[in-house]
Amino acid sequence: MQFGTVLEYLCQYHCNLNCMFLKKITWRVLFCCATFPFVLNGCRQQADVKRTPVQVDSLATTDKNPYVTYDQSPMDMSYYPVNYPLLKMNKQDSTGLIARAIYSRPHKKNRTIFSYSPQSLCQYGKEWRLGANEATEIDFFRNVIIGGKTVSKGTYVIYCIPEPDKWTIVLNSNLYTWGLHTDTTKDILRTIVPVQRQSPALEDFTMVFMDAPEGADLLMAWDNVKTVLPINFSK
Amino acid sequence: MKKVFLAVSLCVACCVNSFSQVVVPAVDKSPLDISYYPNNFALLKIQDKVTEPLIARVIYSRPQKNNRTIFGDLIEYGKVWRLGANEATEIEFFQNVKIGGTAVKKGRYTIYGIPNADKWTIIINKELDTWGSFKYDQKKDILRLDVPVTKETTSTESFSMFFEKATTGFTLNAVWDSSRVSLPISL
Repeated sequence: MQFGTVLEYLCQYHCNLNCMFLKKITWRVLFCCATFPFVLNGCRQQADVKRTPVQVDSLATTDKNPYVTYDQSPMDMSYYPVNYPLLKMNKQDSTGLIARAIYSRPHKKNRTIFSYSPQSLCQYGKEWRLGANEATEIDFFRNVIIGGKTVSKGTYVIYCIPEPDKWTIVLNSNLYTWGLHTDTTKDILRTIVPVQRQSPALEDFTMVFMDAPEGADLLMAWDNVKTVLPINFSK
Repeated sequence: MKKVFLAVSLCVACCVNSFSQVVVPAVDKSPLDISYYPNNFALLKIQDKVTEPLIARVIYSRPQKNNRTIFGDLIEYGKVWRLGANEATEIEFFQNVKIGGTAVKKGRYTIYGIPNADKWTIIINKELDTWGSFKYDQKKDILRLDVPVTKETTSTESFSMFFEKATTGFTLNAVWDSSRVSLPISL
């Protein structure tokens, strides 16, 4: 979502130029080097802009919608390849669609997110829907391997059991459900991933795919915590 | 010369590396949402209140009016519109349905609209996971159906899509500003 900025196209263009340099188009190197500080600065600014949270409260209060409530924890969608619909539109896609996650994005709002306290939003040792509202959904458009096990293409619910140093990531076949009413008899797969600390804290829960040598990594990040789920497939 | 080459390579490598870092997306100004038919199916399911199976869902983004004139200005009359923002809107049927007399098999589709002052043409198209309507391809249409526009007395700030039960089947409703259209879907 929201990746269609002119700046991003410029950054992509610049990146393409850099790749072409590696293919020995030397005159472009000079251009890249000359513009490097500006583009890098532009990308940093872009990252800053993207990190600025929208004032969801103000949106919600100005919206007098009689039909569908404007959600406090809005939904979002992440594709792999990253920005697949945009890549496809620009004829830059080479692998086809592999995965997408549909999740809702709760906000930290000065709350303690992960802890042992039952008052925390995500209590250690308890299942968490990886988002808000509906259970988070992940689609695989081809067979993939996660934690050494083959996962057939299809739609799954993905949830986790957070702990201080590791999260158990679970795929489940009980689709189209709300919240934490998880039916563990329909678990397809469980795998454990380590927790990494991050600073500064991330206000909005985020799930995005990243390129990885043997497939893609699904990054799940909120507050001062992030985890990465490796998803393997042949590229 | 080699040292210069190495230095330049390092510089470019750093640059490439900076792009490979994850850009954490901010909360979208036109956030995504899902509507189910039966309405609130996911909630009903966990409350054991489901009385009929899941039939359809729509995944769309919700732009805001923000004091703009929507139809005939921001959304031009006579042009294909993605029915939302960002990615083109997706509709999924979990069983075969009929729209305007045309059979639609269960599965995922992209849904577009061509708004006009008095009617919209609703389009069901089989090109999936696409952005906007920039690459809309009419050859991939499953069906087109004209539906009348009804004018509402109040203005709706954020674009809304939702299902309603009807005498034969249900309707998919799209409301924004003071315009509303209803697409009849039968089972």
